[in-house]
Amino acid sequence: MTVIISDESKERWGSALEKELLQSGTQVVHFIANAINVEPCTSCGSCGGKTFGRCVIQDDMQTVLPKIVTCRALVLVSPAVFGGVSRHIKKVMDRMMPIADPRYRVSDGEMIKGMRNQKILYHMIGFGDKLSEAERTAFISLHKENCIIMNVKGRAFILDSNSKTDAIKKIANEVSYE
Amino acid sequence: MNKSEILHMSNNKTDTMNNSNILLLCASPRRKGTSAMLLERIRSVADGGELLFLPQKGSLDEIAQAMQNAQTIVISGPCYINTYPARLIELLERASSIGGFSNQKLYGIINGGMPYIHTHRHGLTSLQLFAEQNSLSWQGGFVLGVGAMLDGQPLEKHIRRKKIAPAFDLFIQHIKKGTSAPDSLYEQAQVPPGKIVTYLFSKLLTVMVEKRIKNHGCDVNEPNWY
Ligand SMILES: Cc1cc2nc3c(=O)[nH]c(=O)nc-3n(C[C@H](O)[C@H](O)[C@H](O)COP(=O)(O)O)c2cc1C
Repeated sequence: MTVIISDESKERWGSALEKELLQSGTQVVHFIANAINVEPCTSCGSCGGKTFGRCVIQDDMQTVLPKIVTCRALVLVSPAVFGGVSRHIKKVMDRMMPIADPRYRVSDGEMIKGMRNQKILYHMIGFGDKLSEAERTAFISLHKENCIIMNVKGRAFILDSNSKTDAIKKIANEVSYE
Repeated sequence: MNKSEILHMSNNKTDTMNNSNILLLCASPRRKGTSAMLLERIRSVADGGELLFLPQKGSLDEIAQAMQNAQTIVISGPCYINTYPARLIELLERASSIGGFSNQKLYGIINGGMPYIHTHRHGLTSLQLFAEQNSLSWQGGFVLGVGAMLDGQPLEKHIRRKKIAPAFDLFIQHIKKGTSAPDSLYEQAQVPPGKIVTYLFSKLLTVMVEKRIKNHGCDVNEPNWY
């Protein structure tokens, strides 16, 4: 199953991707980040101690996290904002801590963390109108760092706002794992 | 009057000249954490500045307004999955849509658990892009690794205290003088640990984490709760 989490407040690329993936027979669960209720992480530390692996905030993340822990691929779709993801997508990302592995490991000579009991494919799509080279590079570097710290693999895509359906079709091909 | 007194007097003068309008903005929900400690250090060395915490709920318009009214803005926040927390992105988006900046000087600080600069650097890149897109003047930033272990304690307790504390104090001088801070300041202060230290460090931290979780009656090897 593929989980798509998209910010559709500006452009609806998440829905376009969902449509393409469904057509190719992939199971999809799609959360629209700007339409669900997700509070910011308060860094209370509970998921790393008292309620290990579980977030104490009762909001829509309680529905999103169970889907992520059973997915094979996670795709974040966001307007590229200051070379990163939007506030809606970042809220969801910050709340993924409970399903991360709190233990450290060494990879390529550096300390990293990872996901618990899971190896997902992790993709990011950033879109925008006439994004500068600096914005593109920053967006791709964020995805790269995410992959390192979560010990996952995946791809980052930059999509021009004026792209046609072809572009999202191509991405759908690249992120489908079957 | 001896030399040091004269120096002190002239320092005081620049303090009052430059620091009347510094906004110190903490982007961590933890008011006594490492991000806040670094701002307190700036406030005490630079002799002033208004310290604001990002409210975790409600409108951010007041903070956006305070940013416009300041001459110098220093944002300090934790690294959450390789960049600043959602709430700061929300503020930047909001401030950007309100607009109206006029060359305010912007400095950034990001701290995180990992001892690598590359883990946290994206936060500064984002602030720089925000500045460039909104007519603020980007003045550079400071990346602090192994900030989680400090947990709000002063830089004198940092494992690289001998290099980090003076480097950060030089960074503060740049803020005081309104000059641009080079990346080399924090880069030279924290070379990544070698192979053996890395291995031992990760083992030690893992043991600590496992113990903490066990003390709460939980087991790291349990299947996901969700
Ligand atoms: C949701 C979340 C995500 C985090 N992600 C990272 C990370 O990617 N890399 C890292 O080194 N530390 C990470 N940390 C650790 C914090 O950056 C670290 O504890 C920091 O010192 C907190 O600063 P504060 O005391 O100002 O809140 C994360 C913490 C939280 C709560």
